[in-house]
Parts: sequence; structure tokens; C-alpha cells
Amino acid sequence: MSKQNNMSILIKGLLRENPVFVLILGTCPTLATTTTVDGALGMGLATMAVLICSNIVISLLRKFIPDTVRIPCYIVVIAGFVTVVQMLIQAFIPDLYETLGVYLALITVNCIILGRAEMFAGKNSVGKSALDGIGMGLGFTLALFAMSTIREVLGAGTFMGNEIPFLVENGLTISLLVKAPGGLMVYGLLIALVNKITKGKLIKKKEFSCEGCPSASSCHGGCSAEKEDK
Amino acid sequence: MKKHIKSIISLTIICAVMAVALALTNSVTAPLIEKNQAAAANEALLVVMPDGGDFTAVDLTKYTLPETVTEAFTASNGGCVIKLTTKGYGPNMVVMCGVDANGVVTGAVCLSSNETLGVEKTYGDTAKGAAIDTIDDVATVSGATMTTGAYKNAIKDALNTAIILGGGTADIRTEEEILADNLNAALEAGEGKFTEIFISEKLENVSAIYEAENGAGFVYVTTVSEEEIFVGVDADGVVVSEVADDVKANIEANAKIMLGVTLKEVDLSKYANMPKQIDKAYKTSNGNYVIELHTAGYGINGDKYSSSGEYIYIKVALTDKGEIINCQTVKQSETDGVGSICADKEFSTQYIGKDENTYMDVDTVTGVTLTTKGYRNGIGKAIEAVKIMEGGA
Repeated sequence: MSKQNNMSILIKGLLRENPVFVLILGTCPTLATTTTVDGALGMGLATMAVLICSNIVISLLRKFIPDTVRIPCYIVVIAGFVTVVQMLIQAFIPDLYETLGVYLALITVNCIILGRAEMFAGKNSVGKSALDGIGMGLGFTLALFAMSTIREVLGAGTFMGNEIPFLVENGLTISLLVKAPGGLMVYGLLIALVNKITKGKLIKKKEFSCEGCPSASSCHGGCSAEKEDK
Repeated sequence: MKKHIKSIISLTIICAVMAVALALTNSVTAPLIEKNQAAAANEALLVVMPDGGDFTAVDLTKYTLPETVTEAFTASNGGCVIKLTTKGYGPNMVVMCGVDANGVVTGAVCLSSNETLGVEKTYGDTAKGAAIDTIDDVATVSGATMTTGAYKNAIKDALNTAIILGGGTADIRTEEEILADNLNAALEAGEGKFTEIFISEKLENVSAIYEAENGAGFVYVTTVSEEEIFVGVDADGVVVSEVADDVKANIEANAKIMLGVTLKEVDLSKYANMPKQIDKAYKTSNGNYVIELHTAGYGINGDKYSSSGEYIYIKVALTDKGEIINCQTVKQSETDGVGSICADKEFSTQYIGKDENTYMDVDTVTGVTLTTKGYRNGIGKAIEAVKIMEGGA
């Protein structure tokens, strides 16, 4: 694999295959933890740590894990890492542990992690899987950071807990944004913005075709070929 | 088969390796997590005792403490913090109270409650600085006496607990236990079994009468120098307790009235315009009336999905002029913790001494309007019934 390809793996998660705005994965933690920037960064980094570790381990074990039990094996590995991260956060950053609450444990069922294990780590080398984990984790964290910045600044008039006097004193906050409907609105608007910036190329191209499938990058249209054979 | 065995072995090995990884992480993080949790708990206790320092949990099984006490912690400054669960209007009002080494309340907060008015959120501040001999001087909040009274009793329990934890002795009997002890002390022949009887006559300085179930006599509760005293009276109306001569004379005079009273049921069908709420009426040999009635509170007029569909049943004693001598709630199915205040003696006895012109002065309680208004209507009907029976209406 050339350097260019490694770089491409690393950066594809940032925008081209951003898990939140393009692949529309991990919506639950995205909406739940983006009310504050602190919480969103904590969730993003915790997810990235689990993603990198699980990608590396699953890639290492890809030849050892039989195909029939690969999903249970992936889940055990992911749940194990989530619990490790959970214990570490509870021990070293108890405030973040309180902020993230149940969503920390729910990283186990985050589609991004299982999705990357199934789509990428189970089929690629350790180095590439690690890069994929870093790229996707960064993409997830950046998406959460963008969403939480909008929601916290415009919704609560604060940034990372620090009050923005101009917004608070002039009553320019929109409290709906820190509530669930506000989260959905910001989420939708950001997806629209990504679509607009990329002129719909990222989403449109994938939307209704075989390429629209999240497994497209690893499957290379294999499933549609299989279908035609039948 | 070989394929299945391979799958099983693979999954088992992965599970085992992850379990080892978790065990290792746990061995590193568990002491830190425990330390964090202890620090968080310590911080919560500091709310009621800012100078408390470090706290150590007390083994409650080693002490005989008030029933309300659920947890206790001793502070490094010599004080202690006590957690109590009591009952106000609603169940499970959790109060945390700090008491310093001198037995003075350093702070009290309500951690959780099911009260209706919300006064418990700030009431704890009023008890700050109180000690066991001054806690009774802390005022309860008018209109929220059930909540604040229970809160105050919880703080009193905390102060007593602090004394006991400090090696002292304190009176931790419940109100029921104190009453039972007082009744026994007043009339030992009653063998500990007493029933409160309904006072139908106008008595001088008597707040309650208890009858011994074995017929040995009565205990009259009277007030001397603002202190309630319990006076034992035998079946013939002779005072058996050692009391001052004037108290003895007064109680015997009252006993004479009560012993001579007979009740005769009034035929209500004779009165065409008798209010339909009146169930039964009795005329006493002294010319007073005892009326049993039902009235519609929340149970009847409230929300059809949450109300009981039952009336409030009241027993009222009145003079022939319609002045209320006594009032008691016999049965009620109002909302527990809200309308159920009508069952409290403090509530029903508010009407004593009121008449046709003054019974409306008893205010309804905010948040319990349907019950308290219904109750007041019932009292009005009793007064109206007396007027009818006396031929005045």
C-alpha cells in the first residue's frame, strides 16, 4: 500500500466518509452528548480510543476468528474495550464519567465501531485498520465538536462551560437547541451544509446505488455481482 | 463438527483474554474509583457541615437510635452528619442534618421528598444553630405544618442521635410511645389498652379522654402551665393520679359530666328539610348534639381517574346554639399525603369553638382545596342540622 493510500484511509473519515454526516452512523450518541462541547469531546475521544483498539485487535485476529462467529467475537472485543475505557474514565476523569452517563457504556452498540470492524478491520492489515480507526474516530469527534459548539454556544450561551456575556446579556440564546428537537435540527442542517459544500457528490453518488452501502468500500460491488449470478 | 468446535474455541479464547484484560484494568482502577466515590460522598456531607473534614460511616447496629435514622457519619471535627427518612404530607422525605461537637445544628437539607408545597427545600435553614433544648422554638410554617413539623422532628431525631453517638442518653420515643407511656403512668389499672372517646360535652380544660378497654376507668388530658398532663380517673369518676387539688376538682367535675351523659338518636325523618349529608344525629342528656355526616371532598369532586369516589365521614358535637364542641374525621379516602390531612387531629380540631358565623374563618388549604372546602361545607351542614332540630330553620 502506498503512502498516498494510507493518507487516504486516514482522511476519508474526516469528510468523504464522515461517519456522522455522510454515513449517518452513531446518531444516538451524536444527539445525546452534543449539548455540551466537553461532553461531545469526551464521547468522541472515548469512541476513538475504542475504535482504534478494537480495529487493531480485530485486524490481528482476522485470520483466527471463524467467519460464522465473527460478529459475537467482534462484540466481545468491542464490549471489552468499552468497559476498559469506562473504568479508566471513571477512575481518572470522574466528572466526564458523570456527564456521559449511560452513553459511555452504549459505545458498545455504536454502529460506527461494529461497522468499521465488519467493513474494514476484519479484511485489512493492522496498520491500515489502526489508521482507519484514527481517521473515523477523528471524523466522529470533529462532527460531535461542530454540532456541540453550535448547540452549546447558541443554545446555552456558553462554550466549554464558560459564559459568553454578549449572548447571555442580550438574550440571544435559543434554548431549544440544547433540547432533543434542537439537536435533530442542527444535525439535519449540518448534513445539508456538508451536502451543499460537496455539491451533493458524497451523498448523491452513494445514495441509491450499490455504493450507497456502508460496506461498499470493502465489498467493491461484490454483492451486486453475486445477485446477478443468481 | 470440526468447524463448530473451532468456532467455540475461538470465541472462548477471545472471551477469556478480554476477561483477563478487564480484570487487570479493574485491579488498577477499582481503588481509584472507590477513592473518587468516597470523595464525592464526603463532598455531599460537607453541604451540611462545611468544617466537617473527613467523614466515617457509623455502624448503626451498635446503637439504639430513632427509627427515622438511616445513616450516620462522624466528622473529623467531632461533629456528625445524620441521614433520616421521615413522613411529611407524603412518604419518604429524606433529610440530612449536620450536628457539631457542641450539639448544634450546622445545616439541614432535604435530599428528596414527595411533598406538595415545596417548603422543605428551604426549611432546613431555619433550624441552623438550634440545639436539643431550643429546637422546639423553631417555628413550623403555617399552612405546611405537616411537612415542616415532620422536618423539625427529623432534626430533633438527628440532635438526639448526635447525643447518643457521643455517648450520652436521649429520649427517642415516638409520639405514640410517649402517649402510651403517659396513659399507663396515669392509670396502671388500664393495663396499657386505651381507646380515645369522642367528647360530646363542653368540658373545662380537657383536650382528650381515653377509656381503659378493661373498664378500669379513664385518662383525662388537661393542660397546666402550658404543659399537657395525664390524669387517671377510676370508673366512678374519682381522680386516682397525684395532682394539685384544683386540677383534681376540675377533672372530677368534668368526669361527672361525662359519666352522666346519655345519647338519644334523633329521628331525622321528622325534618323534611334536613340536609342530605346528615347520616345520624343524637341529642345528649345535656342538650347538646352529636352529628354524623358525610361530605364530598376530592374523593367525589376530584379528577375521576385519581379520586377514590368516597365521601369524607365526620362526627361533630355541637351545642344547641350550633357552637362546635368537638370535631373528628371518622373515615376518609382522600389522596394519600394530600387530602388525607383531613384525618389529622390538628386539622379537624380547628373547628372547635366555631359557630354559624365563624366556621367559614377556617381557611381552606392551598393545593388541597377540594378536600378542605368539602370538609368546611360538611361542618356548615352540621350547624344547619342543629338549627333545624332546634326549630330555628
